[in-house]
Amino acid sequence: MAQSYDRYEQIKRFEKDLSQCMKCGFCTFWCPIYQEEKIEASVARGKNMMIRGLLAGELDYTSEYADRLNKCTLCMACTVNCPAKANIPNVIVAARADTVKARGLKFPYNIVYRWLLPRRRLFGWVVRFASWFQGIFMPKTEGTIRHLSMFLSALGKGRNIPQIAPKFLRQMVPVINKPPAGVKTEMRVGYFSGCITDFVLPHLGKHIIDFLTKNGVEVVVPREQGCCGAPVFLGAGDFETGRKMADANVKAFEGLDYVVSDCATCASALKSYAKFLADTPQRKKAYDKFAKKVKDISEFLVDVLKLPASAYKPSAEAKGKKVTWHDPCHLSRHLGITSQPRQVIRSIPGVEYVEMPNADRCCGMAGAFSVNYYDLSKDIADKKAASIESTGADIVVSGCPGCEIQLIDCMVRNKLPVKVMHIMELVE
Amino acid sequence: MLEKKLIAKLEKIVGKGVVLTSKEDLTTYSYDGTTTWAHMPEVVVLPTTAEQVSQILKLADDSKVPVTPRGAGTNVSGGSIPIKGGIVLCTVKMNKILDINKTNLTATVEPGVVLQDFNMALAKQGLFYPPDPQSFLGCTVGGTIAENAGGPYCVKYGVTKQYVLGLEVVLANGYIMKLGGVTVKNRTGYELMMLFTGSEGTLGVITKITLRLIPMPLASKTMMAVFDDMAVGGQAVSNILASGVVPAKIEFVDNFVLRRIEEMMPMGLPVDAQALLLLMADGSPTAVEAETEQIVDTLKKSGAREVKVAKDAEEAAKYWKMRSAGFAATFGAAKTVLAEDVAVPRDKLAEFIGKLGEISERTGFFISNLGHAGDGNLHPAIFTDVSDKENFAKAQEAMEEIFEAALSLGGVLSGEHGIGLEKQRFLKRAMDPVALNLMIKIKSLLDPNHILNPGKIWEEERV
Repeated sequence: MAQSYDRYEQIKRFEKDLSQCMKCGFCTFWCPIYQEEKIEASVARGKNMMIRGLLAGELDYTSEYADRLNKCTLCMACTVNCPAKANIPNVIVAARADTVKARGLKFPYNIVYRWLLPRRRLFGWVVRFASWFQGIFMPKTEGTIRHLSMFLSALGKGRNIPQIAPKFLRQMVPVINKPPAGVKTEMRVGYFSGCITDFVLPHLGKHIIDFLTKNGVEVVVPREQGCCGAPVFLGAGDFETGRKMADANVKAFEGLDYVVSDCATCASALKSYAKFLADTPQRKKAYDKFAKKVKDISEFLVDVLKLPASAYKPSAEAKGKKVTWHDPCHLSRHLGITSQPRQVIRSIPGVEYVEMPNADRCCGMAGAFSVNYYDLSKDIADKKAASIESTGADIVVSGCPGCEIQLIDCMVRNKLPVKVMHIMELVE
Repeated sequence: MLEKKLIAKLEKIVGKGVVLTSKEDLTTYSYDGTTTWAHMPEVVVLPTTAEQVSQILKLADDSKVPVTPRGAGTNVSGGSIPIKGGIVLCTVKMNKILDINKTNLTATVEPGVVLQDFNMALAKQGLFYPPDPQSFLGCTVGGTIAENAGGPYCVKYGVTKQYVLGLEVVLANGYIMKLGGVTVKNRTGYELMMLFTGSEGTLGVITKITLRLIPMPLASKTMMAVFDDMAVGGQAVSNILASGVVPAKIEFVDNFVLRRIEEMMPMGLPVDAQALLLLMADGSPTAVEAETEQIVDTLKKSGAREVKVAKDAEEAAKYWKMRSAGFAATFGAAKTVLAEDVAVPRDKLAEFIGKLGEISERTGFFISNLGHAGDGNLHPAIFTDVSDKENFAKAQEAMEEIFEAALSLGGVLSGEHGIGLEKQRFLKRAMDPVALNLMIKIKSLLDPNHILNPGKIWEEERV
């Protein structure tokens, strides 16, 4: 079919990926969504052909089109297994962006993405306000897991998630965190705190900062940093707001050699500013420079800090436990980081590591995807639950708070006695 | 346009949700793995039982609406494209493995089981189903029966039809017919199963399949041979077969494909080689050792520049991954790729390769080449652009010359892809006219209203 890119500025940038697909259909085997739905519009080949249909003027920006485009976790399993190496997730993100540009964002995402997420403090207040109602309107569930507050439950649809923390990370730690007395400062890094760590898992952020300072790293937590933008520009295709967030984050970490993140999604989003959001040569340069500084925490510990095995001591929760690792898509396929986290876990004495089958299969979270398609998201997660269960592990760890939230929900629903933790919670 | 009533009736049969009518969804059932064909269906229906298939066909037959049955749509003949619109009947949701019988060495599956899922289930029990079309990650078992698919293993183990023991087929009038059984030997009347195996969805919808299995070979060895001349490589294949060994696989890649693969996944291939042969010996460990030795010896005597034996499973896997990337290497090389599927007698391989060179010179089209040399089945490809009418017409002429060359050597139009839309223009020349007529008569007998995958295999005006 004859295609014209005239009205599709972003898709045009990924013309090569779009045209590289030769429709062999191998992606059907790897796509977590196709494996559940078994329809062609689920999978990279089908989505790409719909986008070609749009370019050819045969399809339009309908709600069906938007729905099929949104129904992708961007897990990249199709891409790494594609014989033609066509990166269809690139095309999908670009197509989302062109859709938003042409048709705008729908309520309530326009409020959340354009207005709330770029304003970290205000977002914090809204979350805090909502948390006051937590437990009043919603029944408590198992242990510390509760149904989330009204505000988030509107998005969460009854998902089991940890409660909003009484104190946010930014209220718990100063901007500058120096190594304790007697420990030489080897390095100075910025710490990027994603929204989930900041509001829901601040103890994790605090723990990581303490671990780093203890090992001779001065940790700066710039107050001007905000959301990484993943739900905004990758998930929703709002590149305009994404650029504002990217610029703010780049500026917040100026003058620091490294930006360390405990969230795979954040790290990969920070690293993909240049790919998706660079609309001027200046931005391209700034985003490229920024991307080089961004390091996932396990990558930082193993490749940059090069900590000796002796630096990893088991935490009280991890001691003597059997642990398995879930590869977040944003870590394994987006950033190519698979050996570092495993090396960290294997270095911890008294922790038994066991590899789960299909450790790198998507957990089905993917931010707004899991809200819009919760049933589908659960079905994908249940496959993960079976993998985890087959290992007999006591603890499943990951490097992405997003995956963690999904895994917690999944363990509770499947009544599995497996604790979900961040990899850094394994070490003291 | 289909009547709304018909859609409602389909929904009544299979339930909502699995009847797709949006333009977006229909777009995604308008293509297959070919580059030149596309046509939108009017509705897509994904049944889960043979009973539902039966009701769908009855409904379509009564209303004379075309039905294009398909699995995962990974075929490369245009066969699953709903060229006349109507209903696409997709069997991917009928995907249960019903039985794997290790003692009887048989398995019974629903048509939508993905071949790789089937292989993985068999491997757990030490069983093996050899036909291995290179779309195994996506294709359904039902699709491989309907296309009578082949693949690299077929040089030693034969193609799909050699494994079909029993079928359940829904006829155009909705009757659910049982054929064959679960025994290896069965001499009850005509081999009607073979009518449906390779029928490309034109005679019925396959809803249950019983296949013959073999135990997983205990050992295997992979070899790679480098040649400075393609025809010499072709002759080497004939020499190996004549020497009394039948390797499990003999695959062939030419210099163009080789270089493209090396570009896509650098692995240190000899990019100056004019041809590479990839071979596998399998069986008991001692037999594998002896066969490998004999194959290597023959390769060297036949003029191979270099012969490597993969030292372990990892290296072997690397070679085979390289071979399966050959497909992408070819299809990604131009806007439109006319990839052919001719097969010639194995003793004519070198001669055929020589003829391809002549055709390339005469027509000015570059012809890339890869294929299953061991069974004489090659996939020469011509690069063109379907939107450039003049160039495309010339490319088709060049293709015709390739067919003619294969036929003149006693070869066939299609080794394993089937005719579909892609090769129907050439069918008349490739078949005895009486046989072709008989085929059309059989079609009319089984499907009098021609609702099942109409417009495929033979050109319409013959009907």
